[in-house]
Amino acid sequence: MKKRTTVSASISILLAGTLLLSACSDNSGNGNSAANSGGATGSTNTAVNAGADNAGGASTDGAAGAIQAADLSKLPAAAKQRTDTIIVGLTDPSGAFTPYFQQSGYDGNVSSLLYTPLVLVNDKAEPIPGLAEKWEASEDGRTYTFHLRQGLKFSDGSPLTAEDVAFTWTILNDKSYDGDSQVNTLGIKGSDAYKEGKAASIEGIKIADPQTISVTLEKANAAALTTLGGDVLSKAYYGKDYKQGDTGYMKSLSTTPVGTGPYKLVKFTPGQEVRFAANENYYGDKPKTPNFIYKTSEGDTWQYLETGEVDYASFSATQENIDKLKSLGFVNIVPYTPSTYGYLQVNLEHEALKDKKVRQALTYGLDRQSIYVDAAQGAGSIANIPSSPISWAYTEEGINPYKYDLDKAKSLLDEAGWKEGAGGIREKDGKKLTIHYLGSKSKNTDIFIAVAKENYQALGVEFQPEIFADFNSLVSKVEGGDYDLVSFSTPMLTDPSDGLMQFVDGEVKGYSNPKFIELYKKGLETTDIEQRKAIYKEIYQLLNDELPVIFTSYKKSVYAYNARIENLAVSPFYGLAASLPQWSLKDVQ
Amino acid sequence: MSTYLIRRLSYMILILLAASFLIFSLYALTPGDFISGNIKLTPERKAELREIYGLSKPLMERYLTWMGNALHGDFGYSLAQQKPVLTIFNEYIWNSFLLAVVSTFLTWFIAVVIGVIAAYKQYSWFDTIVMLVIFGAMSIPSFFIGLFLIKIFAVDFHWLPPGGMTTTGSNATGWAYALEVIRHMTLPVAVMTLLGLGSLTRYFRSNMIDVLKQDYIRTARAKGLTERKVLFTHALRNALLPAITLVGFELPALFGGSLIIESIFNWPGIGQLYMKSFGLRDYPLLMGFTMFLAVLTVIGTLLSDILYRVADPRVKL
Repeated sequence: MKKRTTVSASISILLAGTLLLSACSDNSGNGNSAANSGGATGSTNTAVNAGADNAGGASTDGAAGAIQAADLSKLPAAAKQRTDTIIVGLTDPSGAFTPYFQQSGYDGNVSSLLYTPLVLVNDKAEPIPGLAEKWEASEDGRTYTFHLRQGLKFSDGSPLTAEDVAFTWTILNDKSYDGDSQVNTLGIKGSDAYKEGKAASIEGIKIADPQTISVTLEKANAAALTTLGGDVLSKAYYGKDYKQGDTGYMKSLSTTPVGTGPYKLVKFTPGQEVRFAANENYYGDKPKTPNFIYKTSEGDTWQYLETGEVDYASFSATQENIDKLKSLGFVNIVPYTPSTYGYLQVNLEHEALKDKKVRQALTYGLDRQSIYVDAAQGAGSIANIPSSPISWAYTEEGINPYKYDLDKAKSLLDEAGWKEGAGGIREKDGKKLTIHYLGSKSKNTDIFIAVAKENYQALGVEFQPEIFADFNSLVSKVEGGDYDLVSFSTPMLTDPSDGLMQFVDGEVKGYSNPKFIELYKKGLETTDIEQRKAIYKEIYQLLNDELPVIFTSYKKSVYAYNARIENLAVSPFYGLAASLPQWSLKDVQ
Repeated sequence: MSTYLIRRLSYMILILLAASFLIFSLYALTPGDFISGNIKLTPERKAELREIYGLSKPLMERYLTWMGNALHGDFGYSLAQQKPVLTIFNEYIWNSFLLAVVSTFLTWFIAVVIGVIAAYKQYSWFDTIVMLVIFGAMSIPSFFIGLFLIKIFAVDFHWLPPGGMTTTGSNATGWAYALEVIRHMTLPVAVMTLLGLGSLTRYFRSNMIDVLKQDYIRTARAKGLTERKVLFTHALRNALLPAITLVGFELPALFGGSLIIESIFNWPGIGQLYMKSFGLRDYPLLMGFTMFLAVLTVIGTLLSDILYRVADPRVKL
């Protein structure tokens, strides 16, 4: 759950249509909608894409398991008649379209089409050029220098220079900045003085020439590249009313964005649609389809896909959904794994759970295969480390899979001193072993509770589930410490360190292991991917053994789009924003 | 009359003040706040943001700040949408109002007609069938009827759109636009009317039956008035009197939006927005909207009292 991360959160909910939990900044109830576009969001570093030259995710198209449309003649007339516009459903864009200054992931989906970040990432989260054509990091990993492309322009035609980049980083370090960008947590040299009003500018940000800008951090941080490499705000537009210590005026600009992305905003009708048209000042190739619309669609998008009112939708990858999509005949179906992981947060402040053996026993004794794979009809797989399976750092080497093993779980509890007492419930020092579980209301939680109750009963653990319909209430109960286990899912993870944040920043209370902290720091000190891979492998092995949280599952989704769209791909990090400029509409008779 | 109004108005202000404090406290005491749901924030950043938004201040201070601003007509900015609360209302409320006003009109009109006929022909085959159908419609959940109608009319036959208020990407203006909206609102209005019809028809039918048994109806008939005149001038007018109380209650409903209908038909209304804002704990928006409904409720009851007086001279205020 909470934790900072680059980019978005919405993705998890959206896609899943299932695990409500993942709720993001706008949890509300939209969790179970399959509605959205799968998209990137992100107040944070979002990103967008664009990229003509990098086409981040293009590989997914022919990916294993993809199903091609069987019969294009079934294509609804409504879709056929639309020859220059693509429509995609999006749960609830609210109209705050300035990156970094938005609260909802859905607004992030919108701004991801309007802005291109300095640095993009490919499907494995490796950095690739965006507005910056190249960059370098100093030996000590503390200074990053970005070189901008030549001739960049904002959508209003004004030039984009290093001044704009400096302005963006500066305003994010303002005292009154109230968004969730991570730029202000990087510790840019002089940012504290700026925040306190003791300096008129940030010392660590230096403009060498209009195309070159560098930034110096207090300490090395390999994740800084993608965090700093976010969207760029025009100083002339967003900065003309800026006074140090007051960013309130930004609100009045939120519905009239000036961006750098492949599309520009044409019109926003609250509760109905967001219209885009190709941005003629975009640095990459002109988008192949001139118009794009995000249609606000709460809940189910089935009926819109079926009637041809939207061209693209994503669903949880259950067999039932896939069969139903296949029967439509005119959609291509492509599997997709969001960059998140699900876990059970364990209350490490409770005596029983402080013991590693108890946590391991609870993991061995939980039939995760039944809960997350079988009952979910294949729309999930099992997680054992704090990383998404699509990350470059993912590994299964030396990782204990904790296959369901009741005997092993029992013997671990015996070793830990929990002996069976009256009524088959284990006891130690006169206290019963009970687990108070919290979950958000959803079908998956129901499945979890049914199976876990049985599993833990067999293990001699009393299981007391509590379900919340409202995500905020659940979080506040967790913050109050009144729980033993709670189901969460991370927001979208870009850098491998993102998945570890919760163990470092005090989110998971009561976990402190000096070896882990040391490795975590080491992982951020170098930018060399091979070196980092080795470090993260060690971290994953450590956490897999220690289980500060119980890792549960990865979600699986499919996206379905009507087969007249060509060159469609979905990036795990930017959703459809990355490949959208290449989408073209084929003539269908 | 004027002393009555003055007394009534001062009560209203007191009631609204008390209501505003109660509502504010309830929202503030609901577990979780606007910050806690954001899964991307670190604990320190959360504390920092609570400071910026003033959520860490004591309840009373927050209330007084809100009230102070509200009295100056400033209802604040929505935390989630970064827009003034009143602007957001203006964007959504009229859509809800459109659905509500059309369906309320249809509901009342149809209920009166059916109620009168059913009462006049009590226990006839018409009466029996109508009551049966109405009970049926009342007992089916709205989401079921809604989804069922979408399946039949939109997905299978393509006669009507499956949801929304306009065709996505449409550039229609003027009459073409009006026609488009009418096509989109047909299904939601039909469902809302169907659901509201039951209780109201029963209400008018039983009122009408009571009235038809009154002495003055017998007198009217004895005078030799036409049956139509007896029914619609003498009987209906008296049968409608108690319904005036209902008119007052309809007022907030006209602007309050309907969560379920708006969700099913993807209608850009305030009901949906309210639910989402509640999930997010978007306090300024929640406060603004709830107070707006409170004001309408109070005005609605005052209105029905005054209307009562206008319609029935026997009532003294």
